[in-house]
Amino acid sequence: MTATPLLDVRDLAIEFKTEGGAVRAVDGVSFSVDRGKTIGIVGESGCGKSVTSLGIMGLIPTPPGRYAGGEVLFEGRDLLKMSAQERRGLRGGRMGMVFQEPMTSLNPVYTIGAQIIECLKAHGMRNAREARDRAVELLDLVRLPSPSSRVDDYPHQLSGGQRQRVMIALALANNPDLLIADEPTTALDVTIQAQILDLMRDLSDRTGAAIMLITHDLGVVAETCDDVVVMYAGKVVERAPAKDLFDGPMHPYTLGLMAAVPRLDTDADRLETIPGAVPPPWAMPAGCRFASRCPLATDQCRQSPPPLREIATNRLVACWRAPIEEIAA
Amino acid sequence: MTTANAAPPAEPIEDADQVTAPARAHWFRRLLRDRAAALALVTLALIILGALFAPLLATHDPASNSRSIMTPPIWSPMGEAGHWLGTDGQGRDIYSRLLYGARLTLLIGFLAVGLGGFIGSLVGLLSAFNERIDPWIMRTMDVLLSFPAILLGLALVAVMGQGVIPVIIALSVSSIPDCARVARGIAIGVMKQEFIEAGRAVGLSNIQLFKRYLVRNAISSIMIFISLRFGQTILIGATLSFLGLGARPPAAELGMMASQGREFLLFAPHIAVIPSVVIFIIVLSANVAGDALRDVLDPRLQA
Repeated sequence: MTATPLLDVRDLAIEFKTEGGAVRAVDGVSFSVDRGKTIGIVGESGCGKSVTSLGIMGLIPTPPGRYAGGEVLFEGRDLLKMSAQERRGLRGGRMGMVFQEPMTSLNPVYTIGAQIIECLKAHGMRNAREARDRAVELLDLVRLPSPSSRVDDYPHQLSGGQRQRVMIALALANNPDLLIADEPTTALDVTIQAQILDLMRDLSDRTGAAIMLITHDLGVVAETCDDVVVMYAGKVVERAPAKDLFDGPMHPYTLGLMAAVPRLDTDADRLETIPGAVPPPWAMPAGCRFASRCPLATDQCRQSPPPLREIATNRLVACWRAPIEEIAA
Repeated sequence: MTTANAAPPAEPIEDADQVTAPARAHWFRRLLRDRAAALALVTLALIILGALFAPLLATHDPASNSRSIMTPPIWSPMGEAGHWLGTDGQGRDIYSRLLYGARLTLLIGFLAVGLGGFIGSLVGLLSAFNERIDPWIMRTMDVLLSFPAILLGLALVAVMGQGVIPVIIALSVSSIPDCARVARGIAIGVMKQEFIEAGRAVGLSNIQLFKRYLVRNAISSIMIFISLRFGQTILIGATLSFLGLGARPPAAELGMMASQGREFLLFAPHIAVIPSVVIFIIVLSANVAGDALRDVLDPRLQA
């Protein structure tokens, strides 16, 4: 922790108004990303990882959404205090985002070139010729074959993997410092997944952009990320460098997640699961949110929420029982 | 496909790599392949041409009386050579009045649908785009919807006097809520698509998102609805004229012609029947053509 990190999320809380009252989808999430680094955010569906990323981008519709607290510091400036105008300038400019569904994330009525040019123009490029050249250059950068003719293709003429490449080109159009990728490979088949991940890593190496990778695929995290944030029910339960996390997870939830990953080197008939389900956001328990599913839960766990505390160097865990090394599964 | 010599000297597999969409016939050719639609289009085109060139095609002055009153059409034994479709109760040539009448009827229909459709769809699109104004706009539309076109027409004529303009206004206003609702429905479907969020994520302004993302993706479906609405508007317009709200008497309008023929229905039925049949044909053709247009253009109906 020397210089200001590129992105520093502190105690971010996001609520959604529903008929049953306000629901806190993200509750006190903190993490930071340095330039050129890749951070992975993992957790099961509904744990708040997508809401976190949309919150950073400023794409939460308000209402029904509401920033209920915390700060999102981008190079030291709080995004939540910026005007709508300023935030729009950052989106697609210094922050790019890649979505989960490449099939539906491009506007079907314009050519991919037109969409890239539109993004360039929205951020100040005036010269049409120059913008088009840059679009071709970007398509080449994301390794779309024959970019100079493909630039005039419509999205429906491209395959899923190709469209995701175009999405990445769009996100990178204005040389962003931060690239947020919300499950960028979930909708793609496995070989294409690997290509897209390679591409993103390579581009981040080349451009120095930080990547925030949202995923529920631990394999993807192990392969690409420097740091990992594990989220559960809107809270961060564990934060660690990726290597350390995979060597020795410290939170029972992380352990459970890892046990659930099918492995080639062991002979198991059934996949491991974590019993139970995430408590619904309107009925969060008073204590640790994982307590009801945790084999190690004690009365203390059920009564008071565990704070995120540093147990070893760079290893933060929100668990009263940590450090734990083993769970009898 | 022409050989792209603009492309850089790239891999030889370049052409194999090109995903060529299966060549689909132009939408207009596909439209003409549907026989009913083709017939409807040709009929509409003929009627529109007849209305446009009414002064050239008419054999008589549509407003001047003649001595032969209530002459039946030429195919009847009592028909007169000069009057192809006979004359009405005041001895005016029905064929000529029909041309001029279609002119006015179509004009009212086009203007009303155009105006009402434009305002209505704009309102609906805005409503879908901005959730904050949505409830206000839609409640206003509900109020408008509860106001029948005929009542509105009567009220406007009472204020503005008889004429074509109050009828056009009444018809436009009464098609606004329908168009707004349909446009909103279509637009909400578009707004839910991920590319809207992706557009936001690249930093586009609301105006760009509205114009280039929402409107461009919703417009074809909305246009189809509006074209389907055309027949209905003509019909309500004719009804208003029939009630004596539209054009002033010497002028000809199809609904008004039918209304004037009503008195002679028993002994000279052609005076009322002929304009009614023309209205029927216009409405039917417009609906068939609109339907076919939807089948051809609506991407959701394409397998």
